[in-house]
Amino acid sequence: MTNHFGDVVGHSKVIFIIGANSAAANPIGMKHFLQAKDRNNAQLIVVDPVFTKTAAKADHFLRIRTGTDVALVYGLMHVIFKNGWEDKEFIKTRVYGMDEIKAEAMKWTPELTADVTGIPAEQIVQIATILAKTKPATVVWALGITQHSTGTSNTRILPILQLVLGNMGKNGGGCNIIRGHDNVQGSTDMCCLADSLSGYYGLAEGSWKYFAKSWGVDYEWLKGRFAAPEWMQAKGFSLAKWWQGVLQEETTYSSSPVRALWVQGNGITSMSQQVKIQEALDKLDLVVLVDPFVNEAAVLTNRKDDMYLLPAATQFETEGSVTATNRTSQWRSKVVDPLYESKTDHDIMFLFAERFGFYDEYTRAMKMAVKDRELQPVKEEFVWPDDACREIARTIKTIGLGGWTPERLRKHQENWHMFDPLTLEGKGPMKGEYYGLPWPSWDENHPGSPVLYDVNTPVTAGGMGFRNRFGLEHDGVSQLADPSVSVKDSKIAGGYPEITKDNIEQVLGITLTAAEKEKMGANWKVDLSGIINEKCLAAGVAPYGNARARVKVWQFPDPIPKHREPIHSSRPDLVERFPSYDDQKNNFRVDVKFVSEQKAQEWVKDFPTMLVSMRVVNLSGAGMLERTSKYLSHLTPEMFANIHPDLALQYGLRDGDMMWLHAPQGTKIRVKAQYSLTVTPDRIALPYNFAGVMQGVDLSDNYPEGTKPYTIGESSNTITNYGFDIITQIPEYNAGLCRIEKA
Amino acid sequence: MIEKMRDKMTPRIGRRSFLKMAAVGAGVGAAASLPLGRSLRAATAAEVKEPFPGSKRVKTICSICSAGCGMIAEVQNGVWVRQDVAQDHPISEGSHCCKGIDQIDLIKSKQRLKFPMKKENGQWKRIGWDQAVDEISGKMLALRKENGPDMAMFLGSAKFNLQQAYYFRKFAAMWGTNNIDHVARI
Amino acid sequence: MSNGQARMKFYCDTTRCIECFACSVACSEAHELPVGISRRKVVTMHEGIPGKEYSISIACMHCTDAPCEQVCPVDCFYIREDGIVLHDKNKCIGCGYCLYACPFGAPQFPRDGAFGTKGAMDKCTMCAGGPEETNSARERHLYGHNRIAEGKVPICAAVCATNALLVGDAEEVSTIYRKRVSSRGKGA
Repeated sequence: MTNHFGDVVGHSKVIFIIGANSAAANPIGMKHFLQAKDRNNAQLIVVDPVFTKTAAKADHFLRIRTGTDVALVYGLMHVIFKNGWEDKEFIKTRVYGMDEIKAEAMKWTPELTADVTGIPAEQIVQIATILAKTKPATVVWALGITQHSTGTSNTRILPILQLVLGNMGKNGGGCNIIRGHDNVQGSTDMCCLADSLSGYYGLAEGSWKYFAKSWGVDYEWLKGRFAAPEWMQAKGFSLAKWWQGVLQEETTYSSSPVRALWVQGNGITSMSQQVKIQEALDKLDLVVLVDPFVNEAAVLTNRKDDMYLLPAATQFETEGSVTATNRTSQWRSKVVDPLYESKTDHDIMFLFAERFGFYDEYTRAMKMAVKDRELQPVKEEFVWPDDACREIARTIKTIGLGGWTPERLRKHQENWHMFDPLTLEGKGPMKGEYYGLPWPSWDENHPGSPVLYDVNTPVTAGGMGFRNRFGLEHDGVSQLADPSVSVKDSKIAGGYPEITKDNIEQVLGITLTAAEKEKMGANWKVDLSGIINEKCLAAGVAPYGNARARVKVWQFPDPIPKHREPIHSSRPDLVERFPSYDDQKNNFRVDVKFVSEQKAQEWVKDFPTMLVSMRVVNLSGAGMLERTSKYLSHLTPEMFANIHPDLALQYGLRDGDMMWLHAPQGTKIRVKAQYSLTVTPDRIALPYNFAGVMQGVDLSDNYPEGTKPYTIGESSNTITNYGFDIITQIPEYNAGLCRIEKA
Repeated sequence: MIEKMRDKMTPRIGRRSFLKMAAVGAGVGAAASLPLGRSLRAATAAEVKEPFPGSKRVKTICSICSAGCGMIAEVQNGVWVRQDVAQDHPISEGSHCCKGIDQIDLIKSKQRLKFPMKKENGQWKRIGWDQAVDEISGKMLALRKENGPDMAMFLGSAKFNLQQAYYFRKFAAMWGTNNIDHVARI
Repeated sequence: MSNGQARMKFYCDTTRCIECFACSVACSEAHELPVGISRRKVVTMHEGIPGKEYSISIACMHCTDAPCEQVCPVDCFYIREDGIVLHDKNKCIGCGYCLYACPFGAPQFPRDGAFGTKGAMDKCTMCAGGPEETNSARERHLYGHNRIAEGKVPICAAVCATNALLVGDAEEVSTIYRKRVSSRGKGA
């Protein structure tokens, strides 16, 4: 989220929600959108394949065909460019590569866009006009955008729209992406990810060396822990396709098959390809599931041995910080001690680190601090979570967590009543700080940055330009912001590069002492001494530079986003014109099929109905947590699919009848048909939060005694079609096909 | 104070006005200070009695979604006895969805996993932590010896707090693999 | 603003209600109701029809001229000075007349046994407990929490995700809603 909920209430005149059902997934976010409607007369535009509870509150509802988001946004941009409504000054001074976007947009006439997306041409023109004429507009999305074989392109085209409109870095504008779980932002920032070290540092040798240093361990020791140095820098298996590491049906590239699965607080029954996950779970040598509840992976598998359930404490039985969707960090106090025999997640990690023989290395950094500009041991014992919090603050420079000390975060929580909900500004003793120090909070005095990329606010008060991340020039064009774009109160006029040891004197116009030079890291990202940060802030300069937003990613298969038909497309006539990607070799250690799967057969002939996943308000994630509440489970006592009566009656289904849904990969689920007008007759919508029944087989007996939730049901992910994003490998949940059969 | 001013200008919040009418500050046992002559009568001595004597109000954060709603947990003698709304929280201003307000039930759920278990010959069996840690670490290390560290896949959580998430990433790194992931692929 | 004659009222702003069930679950959780007893329900009308769909949260409306009170054969209802309609479960015989009289379907009856034998009626107390000693274990057991006595807002409205559900002095509620409508510039 570039801005925050209060900012939408305070300033947004248009709220463009695409692929998000906040009313069900994030009701408190929805409150803010409704408040903006009431206060600002903001227009709410909702784009969704289903008429959701969010759509019910919209001024304009656009019913999109699944998997055509890129096409829709190009269609909107077509109208904007054609009428010269783009923000020319913003594009000229702060953006790189827009010409190619414009050229692509010009192909997407309202008529073509209407044909591809299913949204009427006149509505496309109307919405484009509203977006161009009503500023500021904010764009909101969630998993409806990301969970596609084209997810990366989807997530790029929407910020590009905001750049075209000049809505970035402004109050009431920006891209307000609503994250899922309570700390999905924080866990992502900490990169519990196969392709990066914490803080998005990646896996390059330099990053590992920086982390070895930050952790107080010898780099060679760390390298020696890996199968071989090459595997240290190679992305691991992902959550989406780890099971191929076990089954190895598609070609894999790893030093070893996956033989042990360690799951700590991850509902893998909410992942696609449940049948494959089941097969993999059956085949593994060891399964360790750590969770406050039974992870239903334990129920899914029929394995007889070598599977362990370890009781983890909930987040109310421990203490630490949690990062909200707007980058605000909140201190979560412990309510009670761990219940029953449960242990906190970190205590479990400590226990095993000890057995695995790396406990000392693992915890060493918590006993260190930066003293005299150098990281060094300072004490014998560490205090959890305070010292871990300090370690993160001094290590993670990329997103500016320097200000997140436990003392400050606790103080913000204790004084949360002193912050304004609309601006997040503190009052009284908290004056000058923003609630929860939304990152970047560059150092211990920085107030946090409530609105990203705002050049009209000084860096020391939360302002900044775009990050200089991709070099100084590309194709002979400077990547730095135009000389006319100066961050307020910056000593440097116009754009400037990210700050390094080599360029700091020249860029900032300062002279370093020999001692400073000696202790300074190579660049702002790896400077544990803190000198670069300090010098930059003194000059009102963001350490990461002041550059152009690039709309062209020259390293990607699609340098500019392109519409590509879903792999299992409901429109085979469009597949020839907008085919999926070529099949992919070795992404996250495994091959991925794209066009070969798409063209294997004309899927829609056998699977004529579009399959859409949806949220229900009372369940989240894999649903196990909520399904153990009698009140919440009572609201959806069984698994169902929303189906239009016209479609249902084609199959002789009455309201409440059971039906089989078959997927292209040969899997099926048995669910209740629930008549609903929220879907059109060409598609059905399913919640994805059930487990415990597999292809018609009740797995109740697999639950340990007394742990079965009040409700169980088929997982929609059993029939989620094959498909993964070409960059991130996120599964395609939202654009698939199925066949209905009366059960 | 700020909130009240905002209220006058913007008709957003029903309950705050209600509070004004009742002249009650959040969380304080202020029933005795209800102004007479209003619809609410003065509290009797019995009413002033705390429902949970000696309980403390812990400020914490909902663990369901990323909105980051504030929560008040009332704890009496180490037991979470009641969940209350945090009306003065700058993001949620007291609001929750059905999942958020039911956090107390979820945490105290009967179906919690209460002790370590292992599956043996197709049967679930209760074991102690020592045995669990012994057996699991023994098996992990044996497999590592056979195949190297990439034989393990670590799946972490979007419900870890920040410090735990950082330490889970470090855990996989020190085990010696990049086979680590959680639910956010984008 | 208040003239001393105020009556406590609920109002649900349907342009705000998103059917999130927070009110309903909060009520059940706070008062530890058995599943199946819904003191507060959320209903959606015309679901799936653009322009027509709306959701609303309904419970006892604490009527000024409460029909339940008028039909009760054992006179178990009583109305507080502030307008909150309460009843005495020790007097109630579970006859169900009040359910027939209520336009909102508020009275709830526990169903036990094969033929759904009715016990004493249960309904929304506006979090004001009942005729037992305030905040006593017995009051909590029979009627749930007494938040009003603690100076707190009824939990359903306090927790409402979108501030759709308003509660308080009828005049205040209507002022808030009127302001909302006027700033919105449309709808009522």
